[in-house]
Amino acid sequence: MTALTLAGVSHAYFGRTILDRVKLDVLAGQLVALVGPSGCGKSTLVHIAAGLIEPQRGRVVSGYRRHGMIFQEPRLLPWATVEDNIAYPLRLSGAPKRERQERARHAADVVSLDRRDLEKYPIELSGGMRQRTAIARALVLEPDFVFFDEPFTALDVALKRRMQDLVISSAVQSRFAGLFVTHDLAEAVRVADRIVVLDERVRGISGERFVPLERGERDDSSVFATVQSYLKDDPLFSHIHDTDERRRP
Amino acid sequence: MAVFCAIWQQGHEAYGDFILPSPIATAHATLELVRAPETWRLAWATSSRAVEGFFLVAVLGGAMGLAVGYSAAAMRLARPLLTIIMGVPPIAWIVLAMIWFGSTSGTVLATVVVACFPLVFATVAEATATRDRALEDMARAFGAGPLQRLSTIVIRSVAGQYFPALAISLGSAFKVAVMAELLANINGIGIALAMARSNLDVAQSIAWIVLTVAAIFIVEYGLVQPIRAELERWRDAARPWGVKR
Repeated sequence: MTALTLAGVSHAYFGRTILDRVKLDVLAGQLVALVGPSGCGKSTLVHIAAGLIEPQRGRVVSGYRRHGMIFQEPRLLPWATVEDNIAYPLRLSGAPKRERQERARHAADVVSLDRRDLEKYPIELSGGMRQRTAIARALVLEPDFVFFDEPFTALDVALKRRMQDLVISSAVQSRFAGLFVTHDLAEAVRVADRIVVLDERVRGISGERFVPLERGERDDSSVFATVQSYLKDDPLFSHIHDTDERRRP
Repeated sequence: MAVFCAIWQQGHEAYGDFILPSPIATAHATLELVRAPETWRLAWATSSRAVEGFFLVAVLGGAMGLAVGYSAAAMRLARPLLTIIMGVPPIAWIVLAMIWFGSTSGTVLATVVVACFPLVFATVAEATATRDRALEDMARAFGAGPLQRLSTIVIRSVAGQYFPALAISLGSAFKVAVMAELLANINGIGIALAMARSNLDVAQSIAWIVLTVAAIFIVEYGLVQPIRAELERWRDAARPWGVKR
């Protein structure tokens, strides 16, 4: 069953075409990583898929029931406590206060946020705790699809790892499908089932690979080996790191 | 306050009773005023006009500021108009309002609204136009419609700048109300000040000023600041001495 279909999606900024007739299917329960050099339209594509940007051409067909989203920055409401931030999507859907509280606490447990921190304001939290809150907020609706827009780029290496583990374990637990934008190939190999490479020269998808081994069964050496073999031997990934943003019009 | 009173006392000793009565004499005059029922009637008349005008400004300025802040075109149209309104001195508005409304409460109200509206309006419009769109995108990603975004994000983030503007315009609402009463001969603190002036009773003039300031204090710390403190609690949380609730 397909959770998400992008059918011939095109988009341009100021007359410069970024995406040209992109086709992509994401199966239910499948985590797809979008990789590519910066400026190739990864974020734009995921924003279009999430309904934040109207594509100039093409259609987005969603087969999932509910989605959540995690951005590069946590994007928490500064004036609301951690608990209220996590419960924000429930508030939008009009859930009663009791239910909001219960489900927010449950989501906080899933991402291992301390109960004592629920009363704090985002400004009192560290960067990692804020991103945890943002993940809990995305999971509180129990979505069957999650959009990740470079969610861990701003975190340090150890924290990034912990967050990736969090995504892997919660994806196993609640079996959501997802679109995961990243420019870190190792992150893509760790987290995703399938890697889709975007390329600005073809203004869309230049190819895709299924990651060997099941999610969660990959250890550090197998992730490293896979990344190395992609970068050294696979022509699909040869352009993934060459980008010069200065030469762009 | 003590330093202020000390300097005041020095001034009194240098220039004598007539130019600057001593703080004690002023305190006596104030006490006398407070005891007289007529004072309360006048103070109430002025305060109710000022507060009425203030509420009009708070509602009109807030609503129109939000509406204009949402539209870049309206913002560009509104800016020169604001400059014109702000450029006209309040005293000129009083003269115009006297011609239009005569010596009535309407004159005071109109002057207060015209004098305080631009600040509140411009602050809200600016705050709305420069709001955090990343938060709004987040809300959209979780399915919030335009009205939900307005009520859960835009209004809440604009409030942070709205309340300081209200605190400032509250002060000027009282000042302008007293001035309009004085010039347009309307019953209130303004006219009492005019009488004190014509009797050359400086102590009483200052006593009236003290009462006006007291009225501003009551409205500001009884109404505006508590709401603001509630909205800004999260900011205090970040301070090293952060005490939350």
